[in-house]
Amino acid sequence: MLDVLGAEIGKGLRVQLAHPIGHVITLLISTMMYLGLQFVLGQGELRQDVLPQTLVAIGGYWFLQYAGLVMVADLIEEKRAGTFAQAQMTTAPPWLPMLGRLITASMFGLAVAAVASLVPMLTAGIAVPLRWAALLPAMLLGINVLAFTFLLASLALVSPMIGALQSLFTSLVLLLNGSFLPLALYPDWLAALARVLPTTLGIEAITQTLFEGRTVAEIWTGGTLPWLVAHTLALTAAGGLLFVRNHRRALQESS
Amino acid sequence: MIEIEALTKMYGSAQVRAVDEVSLHIPAGSVFGFLGPNGAGKTTTIKMLAGLLTPTSGQVRLGGFDVVRQRSAAMAQFGAVLEGSRNVYWSLSAWQNLMYFGRLKGLRKAQVSERAEDLLSGLGLWERRDDKVGGFSRGMQQKVAIATALIADPPIVLLDEPTLGLDVEATRVVKDWIAELARELGTTILLTSHQLDVVQELCDRVAVIRRGRLVADLPTRELLAGFRERDKYEIRIEGAAPAGFDAVTREGVTTMSVRVNDPREVYDVVERLRAHGVVLESLTQVQPDLEDVFLALVNEASHA
Repeated sequence: MLDVLGAEIGKGLRVQLAHPIGHVITLLISTMMYLGLQFVLGQGELRQDVLPQTLVAIGGYWFLQYAGLVMVADLIEEKRAGTFAQAQMTTAPPWLPMLGRLITASMFGLAVAAVASLVPMLTAGIAVPLRWAALLPAMLLGINVLAFTFLLASLALVSPMIGALQSLFTSLVLLLNGSFLPLALYPDWLAALARVLPTTLGIEAITQTLFEGRTVAEIWTGGTLPWLVAHTLALTAAGGLLFVRNHRRALQESS
Repeated sequence: MIEIEALTKMYGSAQVRAVDEVSLHIPAGSVFGFLGPNGAGKTTTIKMLAGLLTPTSGQVRLGGFDVVRQRSAAMAQFGAVLEGSRNVYWSLSAWQNLMYFGRLKGLRKAQVSERAEDLLSGLGLWERRDDKVGGFSRGMQQKVAIATALIADPPIVLLDEPTLGLDVEATRVVKDWIAELARELGTTILLTSHQLDVVQELCDRVAVIRRGRLVADLPTRELLAGFRERDKYEIRIEGAAPAGFDAVTREGVTTMSVRVNDPREVYDVVERLRAHGVVLESLTQVQPDLEDVFLALVNEASHA
């Protein structure tokens, strides 16, 4: 099982790195976009009071955006080419290659998120305090993003037009997850809407631990963490159901 | 061994039977031709065999393992080159493709390396092993696809149109490989091809499917013999044919087709030709090829 998983991840990395130009362009855009955006919103200046919190949010956005893009584009291309069906004739269960793809996509998403966060941190001198309490919410944010990516991938198995839906969701995430302004500054109704989207609850939990000094127990009793767990479980369940349903259809349509 | 029992696949709310109660037993070490016109149910059958489609009813066993209930064990028995698809990653090298597909079959890295070296050397690709497959010719890409199907040394191999788009030399290499696999390694091969000369040359047995149903399943020789026209002869002569004979002259060779009611009447025909001073080059009973048989079977079934 681990051998198959390793082979899938290795293949995914090689296929992605065979065409590096797209990744390089994304890295360039990701490093420039955030500071440019904050400069415009700050009416010609970078507001140090909002930068640390929005930086965490933009990292979450890039993780979601790029992991999803790599995953969905890769699946659609493989289905079109025929390698998807060929790779299903494995001794491993069908979900295992999918898990390998998800891990590969998350590696690229994380790489872009890291660069998109670190470059503004260093160039604009944004100070983000590091606290152990943020580790659990950060891990849950990662799982939340992967659950959403899995859901998109399950849809992409049968719908080559998934790209449009993906663009809609990632645009909404960029607008509402706190990348422009901290969630605390939103009106209640908009904050409630934003929390339905992936990443928002995770970013809220992280910012509560990093910038408000709350403990994991406090964000649990405060309700942010339970909602994040429930949101992630709901996305995973929806992704799982769609995967079971769409995987068969994808094979029927393939080659 | 491949065992297919009453395999049926129905599609849609109209319950259209794409494959209807198909049963086949393909013994180990044989090369089996599976033919059918487009839309006959051939691809659906192959997909069920490859575990890509779940049958509505019936069973497929590969090496004794049920493809649906014992999927993992069945897939270990099996390698495939599917028609109409790329089969391998063009952005990876031949070596990387083989390593990937070998490990997907549950082999360890060292096992795959050894086997990959044998396969790439045997197919004349060893020197190009680190080149991206996307830069290969169609023939070389097909060779890599065949190598990936064989990487785990499976006892059963499905080759769907393995020679499609190949030049004469590459076709020869692939045909030799198929023959060698069955003869020397005892691999069971299920072959589909629209190039019926390839099927006729390689297959011990041939099945023909039409509208989801099998219309023939016989040893190749028996199938051809069943369609032999015992009363039809072809006579080649030097020069022009005498009046009263049906003849075609191409590039200086005259060929006459003669139908008789009794084989002994051939002597009378030869006597008449001798009386006209005609020099015989050859006299042969017309043998049908698989293409004639296939067309006859398919047309017969469509008129039934």
